[in-house]
Amino acid sequence: MKVTIKNWVGVATWRWVANDDNCGICRMPFDGCCPDCKLPGDDCPLVWGQCSHCFHMHCIVKWLQSQQVNQQCPMCRQEWKFNNK
Amino acid sequence: MPRSGWDPTEDSEQGTLTATASSRIKRDLMTIFTDPPPGLFVVGDELNLKIIHAIIVGVMDTPYEGGFFYFVLKCPNDYPIRPPKVKLMTTDAGNVRFNPNIYSSGKVCLSILGTWNGPAWSPAQQLSSLLLSIQSLLNEKPYFNEPGLVQEQIPGDSKRYNEFIQHETLRVSVCGMMENQCRLSIPEQLKDIMGKTFLEFYDQYVEIAKNNMHLDGTEMIDPFNKGRHLCHYKNLLLRLEKIRAKVMGKTWNFFKEPSCTNVDLKERQTNEEAKCSSTIAS
Ligand SMILES: [Zn+2]
Ligand SMILES: [Zn+2]
Ligand SMILES: [Zn+2]
Repeated sequence: MKVTIKNWVGVATWRWVANDDNCGICRMPFDGCCPDCKLPGDDCPLVWGQCSHCFHMHCIVKWLQSQQVNQQCPMCRQEWKFNNK
Repeated sequence: MPRSGWDPTEDSEQGTLTATASSRIKRDLMTIFTDPPPGLFVVGDELNLKIIHAIIVGVMDTPYEGGFFYFVLKCPNDYPIRPPKVKLMTTDAGNVRFNPNIYSSGKVCLSILGTWNGPAWSPAQQLSSLLLSIQSLLNEKPYFNEPGLVQEQIPGDSKRYNEFIQHETLRVSVCGMMENQCRLSIPEQLKDIMGKTFLEFYDQYVEIAKNNMHLDGTEMIDPFNKGRHLCHYKNLLLRLEKIRAKVMGKTWNFFKEPSCTNVDLKERQTNEEAKCSSTIAS
């Protein structure tokens, strides 16, 4: 079978917040805590996924909890798995 | 995940934004202020940090060229875990469907808003990426946005649809918006932008009206919405001239009366948050 694409209309634009220095969810720098941690001294650890994307643990956990069916990385949409090195 | 309702003006979520949400909204706005994408203007609501007002100016060489499409957005308390709700306010009071994906009710059908199939929202997205996705719906051949329509149902449909959109853009989203026929409560900063942009596009508006004058009196058909409309370019040209004279003479202003189609701000944020948003907006 031969498929010919006659027309293609792109209707989406992606622009990721992707950044090595900032959390892709709260957009705050990794050297500080997430905005839900009131004090800079609070324990706000960073976590990595197997896809190598990094987030504040507080931020990624809130996202994963909101996703009942498939839990994907916010940046690359791969299935999220904690990278427990 | 099912979400209750798409309409930000009917949204009943109470309570306050999380610290992450209000910080994210401010950052998202700041990103647009410091590096504004062409044709995209936003301002935070003076009283409620959850509410964002946006104008998308129709891109050149599309039937939406130079039109003012005013959107109201409301962010959920846990933004960016969930997407904002979005409504197009420029619909001639619910009478014009400007796009197969944007209904005359103002509903925007987009997978990232959860109002359509396809890739869902991700918290890595932000206000600018969302608004750019909406802007990309207002493209040069909107007829083919309709899923499944890879081919015209009747030859010439796409061209006729563009003629309809072009006329309604001039009538509703240029003249109607500049005259504020529908009494929308558009923030001052966005009105200023409209005034400036109107003058920049003025020659194009006139050219569109003159080039299409031969269609006057003919019927336009919207394949996605019932109702037939007559072309009135001669009348639009007169309205454009009047608006221009007012903008140039600085006597152009909107009705000040409270609007019936205004966003119903069901709850107000604390003064503190209000101050934050107005600082960012200025
Ligand atoms: Zn974070
Ligand atoms: Zn934290
Ligand atoms: Zn990833």
